[in-house]
Amino acid sequence: MKAEQGPSQELPARFVHEQWPYRPRFKRVNGWRMHYIDEGTGDPVVLLHGNPAWGFLYRAFVEPLVAAGRRVIVPDMVGFGLSEKPVREQAHTLDGHIANLTGLLRQLDVQNATMVCHDWGGPTGLGFALSNRERVRALVIMSTWAWPLPPAEFHTRIFPWRMMHAPLVGPYLLGRHNALAGRGMYLSVVDRKKFRNTAQSVYESVLPDPGSRLLTWTWPRWIPLDHTARAMQRFEWLERELKKSNFPALLVWGREDEVFDYKTFATRFKELLPHAEGPELVTGRHFLQEDSGAEIAAKINGFLDRLDGKQR
Amino acid sequence: MSGIEIVQSVDLDGKRRALVLNEDRVGHYPEFREFFVRRFALERNGLSRPGYVRAPSGMTYALVFVGRSGEPFPDGLEIHALVDALEPLNEADVDTDLWAFMRWMIEGVGGPWRVEDLDATGELYQLPFLRPRA
Repeated sequence: MKAEQGPSQELPARFVHEQWPYRPRFKRVNGWRMHYIDEGTGDPVVLLHGNPAWGFLYRAFVEPLVAAGRRVIVPDMVGFGLSEKPVREQAHTLDGHIANLTGLLRQLDVQNATMVCHDWGGPTGLGFALSNRERVRALVIMSTWAWPLPPAEFHTRIFPWRMMHAPLVGPYLLGRHNALAGRGMYLSVVDRKKFRNTAQSVYESVLPDPGSRLLTWTWPRWIPLDHTARAMQRFEWLERELKKSNFPALLVWGREDEVFDYKTFATRFKELLPHAEGPELVTGRHFLQEDSGAEIAAKINGFLDRLDGKQR
Repeated sequence: MSGIEIVQSVDLDGKRRALVLNEDRVGHYPEFREFFVRRFALERNGLSRPGYVRAPSGMTYALVFVGRSGEPFPDGLEIHALVDALEPLNEADVDTDLWAFMRWMIEGVGGPWRVEDLDATGELYQLPFLRPRA
């Protein structure tokens, strides 16, 4: 049975913002209402966000990718953005989120797709790619991981990471006080003044109530910290299958990324995907799209043009 | 001092329970579940009664422990403020009471979990009632 409906049901069906002029579209996947945008025509580029973001993170990517003759699909994970927001933690699993994405992209009959993966868009997007290889053409990987232990030294520390999402502390700090969509994202960009003036309130406003923010403290609890972790086998599978894969890939990382630092994480991806281009370094902390969106979009266009044998 | 006190006897006459915080996975770190089992004698009491605590504002809170098949008990925990039946909550009091509850809980869980780290986390995320450390 589906979890009960939460306050997200009161969100407007259409989000109106000058930086996000795209038509909202919805599909029902696994019983949940999933929001996405679908702009342009051509081979699809699927832009995947993580915690606590939504498609808005990619607002600087859509136009240049569409202008280059590509179809751009930007889903909001169930639990974030304009998608339905389950109000029970048990509604969220890593496999469930991969299945949500798979449900959406199969309904859209996506073929020859480039999966652009960031944060939890990494394990979910790569999970889709590795279980639907015939639909995927290439990977773009940014500030994420796809192996079991440890994600980063940062994630093993009690202050601030484990404390932030600890039992009761998570619902209090990230739920009642919306700490991750507000202060958390603010701390994870380089140009904080610009972020505060142009984006922070947008991220905060789509998570308006404590119950709507549940995934912000649930995702951290899915990062494996030891061999008893719930997602251990899935991450082992991701690492194993990624290493066997031969998708063309581009690695893009923020120079200032302190959570998934490029020396550790981009290097590890390069070991798994030795043929990958990059890492291309740009100005950015974890949410590098906020600081270097247009530059990363240009790098993706260049990468795909090279795959197409085109020169720009 | 956290200002949290376990109370055994509560007069519920004229009161309502107002849900103020919900945790679906109190055993995410098992030492947190063990803390509640220990402090509220849950191996003996089970689901027979809520736990009650009095917070710094003077308000009493009911802790409703939730079981789920296949999971150690308790799996979830709801915190309800006991308020006058027809009166709205004082949200500011609830906020600071809950923070006092967090500090009491972390102190009780112990081991590597330190109140200093909780306070530092609250300061990092700029809880409005906490002042940055000098």
